[in-house]
Amino acid sequence: MLIRLIAIAVLLAAASLGYVWWQGRQGKVRRVERPGALTPVTLGAARGPRATFVQFSTPMCAKCPPTAVLLKGVAAEQPHVAHIEIDAAERLDLARELGIMRTPTTLVLDSDGVVVARMDGAPSIAQAREALAAVPPPAEYAI
Amino acid sequence: MSNEVKDVQIDPRGYRFGASVTLVISIIALVLGANTAGVIAMGVLALLFLPGATIGPQVTLQSWVFRKLIRPRIGPPTETESFRPPRFAQQMGLGFSLLAVLFGVLSIPLGFYVFTGFVVAASFLNSVFGFCLGCEIYLLAKRATTRAA
Repeated sequence: MLIRLIAIAVLLAAASLGYVWWQGRQGKVRRVERPGALTPVTLGAARGPRATFVQFSTPMCAKCPPTAVLLKGVAAEQPHVAHIEIDAAERLDLARELGIMRTPTTLVLDSDGVVVARMDGAPSIAQAREALAAVPPPAEYAI
Repeated sequence: MSNEVKDVQIDPRGYRFGASVTLVISIIALVLGANTAGVIAMGVLALLFLPGATIGPQVTLQSWVFRKLIRPRIGPPTETESFRPPRFAQQMGLGFSLLAVLFGVLSIPLGFYVFTGFVVAASFLNSVFGFCLGCEIYLLAKRATTRAA
């Protein structure tokens, strides 16, 4: 009996530690260097001329709809930034190719469609802005 | 599998309450152990999961108790969520509870403890932290069970 109660306490403590560790990684911005661009054909939607949030979601993801609202809001803060949402369960090919393990996972593409940053898990507004800042500023043209 | 029915928005506090019911029953099952009493507890839990796993978490006995006894005291929800993620979680819960019952009936205590332990851990994370383990596992499960084209 006592052994079982101790085992239950250990199980709950381990689950709590795992949760804290997992939440700490939630939305963390990682810089990515990945050769090649994601084309509008691959994405199934038009990219933003300056930058694009590509959010991978599934219908079983409770945090995906609020993340889409948040990213649309951050995208609207700057001109020419788009938000695309892709169902990872339908596009398993893309999910495998890009190593999407959880949802929401958001990639940030630069103006050429090259992945420059990613956030695994639901980001905060600050994290979404930080990820967008990974896109180099537009070149100055002197005409 | 999931596109056939119209989306239903539910009160997320309702299935969190349901998860706490699951947590209590599954801990009782662990304390009772891999014997007739423990197996009956997991069998009851599987029955409680059944409506939520097949139709949705909005039709479970737990959600009925929540609507009748708890929501009148805490007021209407400030946000709602799709019923699909928790329904998937209920399907996982049903599967794990049935496996625990199966191992218990076959007198394989380790299997009973492992699957009951899964239910305890998952319902603990959901009820205490509002964290949906099934939602996180969905894509991994889908990736693992669907062959590359």
